Amino acid sequence: MDQKQDVLRLPAEKLYAKELEALKENDKAERPAGWQLSPKAVLTFITGGKAGNTVITPKYIGNRRLVEMAIATLLTDRALLLIGEPGTAKSWLSENLTAAIHGDSSKVIQGTAGTSEEHVRYSWNYAMLLAQGPSEQALIRSPIFRAMESGGIARFEEISRCASEVQDALISILSEKTIAIPELNREAAADRGFSIIATANTRDRGVNEMSAALKRRFNIIVLPAPSSIETEIDIVRRRVGEISASYQLRSALPDEETVRKVVTIFRELRSGLTLDGKDKVKAPTGVISTAEAISLLTGSMALAGSFGDGRVSDEDVAAGLQGAIVKDEEKDRAAWKEYLENVMKKRGASWRSLYGACSEING
Amino acid sequence: MAKSVRRMLGDQWVSGARGPHCYGIRHLSPAGAYHLLALLDEIKPTAVLIEGPSDAVQLANQLVSPGVIPPVALLAYTEQLPVRTVLYPFADYSPEYQALLWANRNECDVDLIDLPTEITLALIEPRRGLSVPSDESEAGTEEKRPDLYARIAELSGEPDYEAYWERYFEHNLAPGAYRHAIARYSAEMRSLTEEEELRLAPHESAYNEIREAYMRRKIRETIAAGHAADNIVVITGAHHTSAMSEELPPMTDKELALLPRVRSRMTLMPYSYYKLSSHSGYGAGNAAPAYFELLWQCMRQGEPEKLPSFYLSSVAARMREQGAWRSTASVIEAVRLAEALASMHDGVQPTWKDLRDSATILFGHGEYAVVAEAFAKTDIGTAIGQLPEGVSQTPVQDDLNRELKRLKLDKYKTLVAADLELDLRENRRVKTEEAAYLDLNRSVLLHRLTELGIRFARRQRTRQADATWAEHWVLQWSPEAEIEIVESTLKGETIELAAAYVIHEELLACTEIAEAAKIIRRAGNCGLPQVAGQAVAALQRLAVDAGNFVQIADTVRELSVLLQYGSVRRIHTEALTPIMKQLFLRGSLLLVEASGCNDDAASGMINGIHAMNVVSQEHYNEVDEQLWLSKLNDLASRDDRNAKLSGYAFSIVLERNAASEEECAREVSRRLSPGIPADLGAGWFEGLSLRNRYALLSRDYLWKQLDAYIQSLEPEPFKRSLVFLRRSFASFEPREKAAIAELLGDIWGTGSEASGEELQRSLNEEEKEMLDELNDFDFGDL
Repeated sequence: MDQKQDVLRLPAEKLYAKELEALKENDKAERPAGWQLSPKAVLTFITGGKAGNTVITPKYIGNRRLVEMAIATLLTDRALLLIGEPGTAKSWLSENLTAAIHGDSSKVIQGTAGTSEEHVRYSWNYAMLLAQGPSEQALIRSPIFRAMESGGIARFEEISRCASEVQDALISILSEKTIAIPELNREAAADRGFSIIATANTRDRGVNEMSAALKRRFNIIVLPAPSSIETEIDIVRRRVGEISASYQLRSALPDEETVRKVVTIFRELRSGLTLDGKDKVKAPTGVISTAEAISLLTGSMALAGSFGDGRVSDEDVAAGLQGAIVKDEEKDRAAWKEYLENVMKKRGASWRSLYGACSEING
Repeated sequence: MAKSVRRMLGDQWVSGARGPHCYGIRHLSPAGAYHLLALLDEIKPTAVLIEGPSDAVQLANQLVSPGVIPPVALLAYTEQLPVRTVLYPFADYSPEYQALLWANRNECDVDLIDLPTEITLALIEPRRGLSVPSDESEAGTEEKRPDLYARIAELSGEPDYEAYWERYFEHNLAPGAYRHAIARYSAEMRSLTEEEELRLAPHESAYNEIREAYMRRKIRETIAAGHAADNIVVITGAHHTSAMSEELPPMTDKELALLPRVRSRMTLMPYSYYKLSSHSGYGAGNAAPAYFELLWQCMRQGEPEKLPSFYLSSVAARMREQGAWRSTASVIEAVRLAEALASMHDGVQPTWKDLRDSATILFGHGEYAVVAEAFAKTDIGTAIGQLPEGVSQTPVQDDLNRELKRLKLDKYKTLVAADLELDLRENRRVKTEEAAYLDLNRSVLLHRLTELGIRFARRQRTRQADATWAEHWVLQWSPEAEIEIVESTLKGETIELAAAYVIHEELLACTEIAEAAKIIRRAGNCGLPQVAGQAVAALQRLAVDAGNFVQIADTVRELSVLLQYGSVRRIHTEALTPIMKQLFLRGSLLLVEASGCNDDAASGMINGIHAMNVVSQEHYNEVDEQLWLSKLNDLASRDDRNAKLSGYAFSIVLERNAASEEECAREVSRRLSPGIPADLGAGWFEGLSLRNRYALLSRDYLWKQLDAYIQSLEPEPFKRSLVFLRRSFASFEPREKAAIAELLGDIWGTGSEASGEELQRSLNEEEKEMLDELNDFDFGDL
């Protein structure tokens, strides 16, 4: 984070360059071909620990076993597919795994409805193609292509947003580990260490079902929503801290109490049940993810820093909550109001001012 | 043995100079059995001492007889009620079981050295009453220290303690490694937990002391009997190893005499992997017995590395059985993933957890639920143990096995439920009497088991509802059933005697005729003529005072079934006929009086009237049918009884053609004449319509009358009558409703088809509105 402080968002390998360096130095175990760290060091990088004297911050909190399984998958040359609800740290995990194993998390394909097969395989620089005919210079390699050549890991974000036929372009790549370029009459074969980490979303609208043939070629790991409130609070606090440092929000971090309140509200609305399991709560239509809790709190910090006294107040949080929860106007507004009246209002003095602020905004 | 397996202690204090060789185990540990056999082969002891009830040596020696297939269990139970039991299960890979087999092969002395069951059973109460609420000894202390085990798992980097254990103990086949590792490990664990146990569960701790002192005593006895100390191998839970030291004092005669005792008995029983898995109680289980057996077999063949492929292929095979196709390529990838996971933990080979997680990813596409059933089948399986004939069992177990064999039912002794259809009639095509009544005798046995509350057989409904000769049973054996069989030893030496005892006990407590009649039937089902006779006598006695119509009707019906049944069941029913006659007579006389009741009681009455009517038709020779009909007639014409019951009685009269066309028309018009309150008129019609609808549909004057009646009603009473009418027509089938619509069409002269259509089309808005208005109408108490 030295001279590149002005970059809006640093890739994981830059953000944690020091930690990766320390791990490399202290890593005595054998490294698989194409890997810059041993599997155990990768695990330490993701789940936290120590490398010599350097403290390694945990990147993925919660289920250590899932991370182990993800690393073991990549060890066996299999492609990895991370599935989960929005905001379960799929992309975050994929980026950090790639950074730790390969040292370059920038070979990304972002899956959208407009992604075409050329994005997955290769395309041409048409000016050169017309001028010279097919040639190596005119070939524009896709991130997957480049990862194959360098024996690295390519990431495919939101794979289920692509059309099915585009997804299926991966089938031959994953089983043959080659890309054929008939125009140049050659095949590009993958170096050792090549793999793909894809992520897919289960809850959002507008996703395409993946074909069974493609699914079989992936090892699929389902990332769960944080299992306990303590884990979720931990995740939220950590990420809010990191983000606010890089965005230079001129505001103090929200205190423990505020984070706990926000996470409580999110968990209750997500599960449709109060934490003590005694009351049912009407769940809003949208997805209420941990990621949104994080952006809500950083948003509140921005509000407090720019317009307030630099400390996150209940009004700032209330504004964020309103935006995060009420998406499908009327229904959500009613659900949110119901929650305010039936649950929050009865929570006693410590919740009183947040309740006041929320009901004022919700109207 | 039936206690938790995790607390283990060291051998270093005792295995020194020329003492007995103490070998600590974790019960149900394949590696424990593997290393134990190696140790026994090396030392070649003259005596093997095993932690187990010292009065069960005889039975334990029977476990090695040919034909015994584990899992089996040793069950000790108190002779008196309430029955207390302790259970010592053995799998093939139990170190104790393998030690027994080794000793048998090598003609070496075997002794069990734990407290005898009479003391163990007597100590259950004091232990349970005062310390932690756990019945299988140390489980309680373990629960209080989850953090300790979680810490170990965390420090070793394993996902849970079981995975730690398997990786570091079960997979380590280096000679001697297991013994020393477990000794050291248990000693440390014991010193960590001892103090806390003393504080939190003092009685548990004391119980442990008693057991260990007793075991030391037994070791000394063995030495005194002439075995050289270093020719003895002592096999105990690793937790106790350090307490086997010769330096610690053994239990004295005086102390032994002070211990409480209860009279106890023991038996062997087949056990199942399902019970053994910790899914179902008993602390001594391990979660995946079938998996551990696979591990044990691979170990014995010296090829533990084959386990992952065996295990994962069988999970895949199970999934294919369920119709979820998983390719061999997936199995290969799953094995690779499991091995990669193991290598990340520096393991020799994948643990159960590694294998399961790989299968979840490769076969379940990340979803555990998809693979859960296949896991359950692969990890636990449906294996049950077997005991050959002549191996010690309780008289009742022996009796049941003999009976099952005699009746060719022994093949149903599996964990998988199987159907059995019985035809109780004599099979005239076979020669022997035994064969001719095979199904009847089977039914008798199954009924007896049901009476004893043994969950081996469940009776299902037969397809042909009233066939007295057909029965449908579902048979499924389980260890619980076996335990229940053993428990019924206290009720009698054979199944027959025990069943007779149970029914007789119930008869003594019985105070109502319907109940007594049921007991007669049950005794008949169980082929117990003597008990049936006693029940008949009881019924006679009770019948004198019976005065409740519904009860009497039930009893009459019950007796009537018995009388019909008699020939099939081959039971003597002569004594029943006079009782039935007498009760039928009383029921008839009570009918009119009992019918003055409210609508709630009426439904019970209707069942009773129906039962009486059936009997009057089926036994017209024996009972006074004329009296019954005249009473029904009486009820039908009375205005001061429950209208519904009057209607119901009238419908029977109608059905039996006991009323002429004219009488009938007169009665209908009387009942449905203008001015009769809606609840009476329509309620009567409801009762009328409860029976044979075709008898109603074929009489068109009835519908004319009903039509006229409804038209005569004022709007207010009309709405009230709607409730009754709707209720009575709700149970009509569509076909019948269509017939009514056509009838009405004829009456109105609108043509049957046209009005039928008109009546059955869906409602328009206006009509709906009118119906909605009814919601606001006050129906009073209707």
